[in-house]
Amino acid sequence: MADNPHHGQTQSAGAQTTGHVWDGDLQELNNPLPAWWTYTFYATMVFALVYWVIYPSWPIGKGFLPGMSTITYLNADGKEESWHWNTRAKLLKESQDAVIAQKPYYDKVAGLPYEQIGKDPELSSFVLSAGKAVFSDNCAGCHQAGGQGKVGLFPNLVDDDWLHGGGFDKINQTISKGRRGYMPPFGEALDQAQVDELAQYVFSLSGGKADPVKAGKGKELFHSQTGACYYCHGDDAKGRQVIGSANLTDKVWLWADVPGLADDAAKIGAIKKVIAGGLDKGVMPAWESRLNAEQIKLLTVYVHELGGGK
Amino acid sequence: MSATSVAATEQYDYDIIKKFSVMAIVWAVVGMFVGVYIASELAWPFLNFDSPYISFGRFRPVHTGAVIFGFGGSALFATSYYVVQRTCQTRLFAPGLAAFTFWGWQAVIVLAALSYVTGFSQGREYAEMEWPIDLLILFVWVAYGAVFIGTLMQRKQPHIYVANWFYLSFILVTALLHTFNNIAVPVDLFSLKSYSLFSGAQDAMTQWWYGHNAVGFFLTSAFLGMMYYFVPKHAGRPVYSYRLSIVHFWALSFMYMWVGTHHLHWTALPDWASTLGATFSIMLLLPSWGGMINGIMTLSGAWDKLRTDPIMRFMIVALSFYGMSTFEGPLMSLKDVNALSHYTDWTVGHVHSGALGWVAMIAFGSLYHMIPKLWNTQMYSVKLINAHFWLATIGTLLYITAMWISGISQGLMWRAFDDFGNLQYSFVESVAAMHPFYAMRAIGGLFFLTGMSLMAYNVYKTIRQGVRDAESAQAYSAAATA
Repeated sequence: MADNPHHGQTQSAGAQTTGHVWDGDLQELNNPLPAWWTYTFYATMVFALVYWVIYPSWPIGKGFLPGMSTITYLNADGKEESWHWNTRAKLLKESQDAVIAQKPYYDKVAGLPYEQIGKDPELSSFVLSAGKAVFSDNCAGCHQAGGQGKVGLFPNLVDDDWLHGGGFDKINQTISKGRRGYMPPFGEALDQAQVDELAQYVFSLSGGKADPVKAGKGKELFHSQTGACYYCHGDDAKGRQVIGSANLTDKVWLWADVPGLADDAAKIGAIKKVIAGGLDKGVMPAWESRLNAEQIKLLTVYVHELGGGK
Repeated sequence: MSATSVAATEQYDYDIIKKFSVMAIVWAVVGMFVGVYIASELAWPFLNFDSPYISFGRFRPVHTGAVIFGFGGSALFATSYYVVQRTCQTRLFAPGLAAFTFWGWQAVIVLAALSYVTGFSQGREYAEMEWPIDLLILFVWVAYGAVFIGTLMQRKQPHIYVANWFYLSFILVTALLHTFNNIAVPVDLFSLKSYSLFSGAQDAMTQWWYGHNAVGFFLTSAFLGMMYYFVPKHAGRPVYSYRLSIVHFWALSFMYMWVGTHHLHWTALPDWASTLGATFSIMLLLPSWGGMINGIMTLSGAWDKLRTDPIMRFMIVALSFYGMSTFEGPLMSLKDVNALSHYTDWTVGHVHSGALGWVAMIAFGSLYHMIPKLWNTQMYSVKLINAHFWLATIGTLLYITAMWISGISQGLMWRAFDDFGNLQYSFVESVAAMHPFYAMRAIGGLFFLTGMSLMAYNVYKTIRQGVRDAESAQAYSAAATA
């Protein structure tokens, strides 16, 4: 600063400056390196040397110093393999430790009938723990972390409603082979008034306040050869799990966001959209080529527990 | 030897320094605003507004580009041109080239930001600019080197002051890094898209050799150069140890070059390369601390000024954060610590303790010292500097604390196994757990941005005051001679 009181002085206790001055008043003292700094610097070098002895370090020719630390694990054939420390072997060993820890439980799951698995408290905790991990990695992307699904996109797995059946075998089949939800569009086969009448009727089926006259006409259409809805959804409109058609009398909605919309007109509008446009986006992939049989069995029990299966 | 006896404004080329200083502040406000915005997007995703132009992926390089190259770069151009002239007692070599570095560099920042929001990116961290912008950077950088080295060569002082070594190493190494990291083949002459000449692990290694040395030489060596001039100058005290400055300069320059691979632990990079990165990072600790020790020991003896001078506070806090983050860095580079910290917010917190705590704070201190000298006046308000200091310090602490907690929680959640050997948490559960800390980080950033806005206002008023004083002095002398 211009009013620098130390201008041109060397005021540090005993230390000399180097004798150079820059920009009027910039100087440097000739203090030695702080001893602790020097020794700590040496200590970091010793640390580095030790690290080089433990881990793979300096490249030499086409190879490198492998380091003294080793990692031993069982390979895919069950034979013991030993390597100098390396990232890949460490991963294999850690994955394998987990597999070994889980094996007795998986063996038990594989050997027991579905009904018995839930009765063993330890095994049932294992299913919850492992099932959650497998579910989170493979299923949660669509069905969400808790299995609650998403209206308009993915079925809810925690409610009591099963499109294709909630028994163990059906759930296993759904996971292994996948599913395809399909409903043909009726927008061309029916006129707008008919679509409206059908929508009013469908809305009334689960207790919605529909126009009674229109709903009455809709009911006729539903059961007639013109609408032919009963073919798939059944005479009682309760759906048929064999073909995966939806139960229209409960309050569970997958495609039309009836619970999420504010007023009745909008709710009916959403139902009309499904009737007129149909559906062909309900595809669940088959998992049998990606997950092994034990994992699918585990998931079956897990999903069964989620929804209080049938 | 008495440089101050001649009116400094005539003795030195200040115009270019003024321009860079103003742009440093403009880019700081812009870059930090974008930073707060993307931090808020992470906490409250509706802020994306479903627009690709302002999504996190495109805005993030706009933020890093504006703060590192816009703010940091302009501050470095400004201070290096100031320091090299004053310590060499000469005007800038080739003022025309110097002017080109200003307009060229500003064009780089603007073009880079425009290309990012429209979706053009090399996908190389801190070097996202596509090839035509890379070429412009190259020209600007060669011109910068010519101006700086030319000025050093025409110095009227027998010795080169320590700050200039640091600036020079930054200029040379940045040229080297920029060139090799951006060797890419354009898809065609009229396409912005290009592909790197390297592939796979080699490409990753080139990228992080660049990335970490950008931190090392752009954000450390260069700002140490700033520190070595402005700290002793502002404190009015000699540099503590000439010997330490030499030893730590060479040790720092040598060690830094090796450490980039610590960004690639636990990847496809050969293990021996990652070991070397870790060990050189450990050996880098003391060379880094050499700068901190020299800065703090230079200030010691002027501690009384800490009570009255907020500029001094900026400097001492900058040195403290520098010491802290250069301790944290080597720690995180150890394989086992990195197994926890890698890919987590801890890394983000570490970068910001360096970027906000060290780089920005030392730049604020230096600019507050330099700007009144450039316009031959006093800072408009010391109280506002003080307010800026507290906002910046609290903001930095909030930011890094939030990221420590969220980063370490992430690391622990991702590796947590239950008694059955199953992963305890799904990824999305770790995301949900981060929410409060993302909000806290955004608030910390807002503190920092608010402080920065105070600085912008304060500097604006200071410049107005300086210009007005100069005009009335001119009018006075004209009247006196009439």
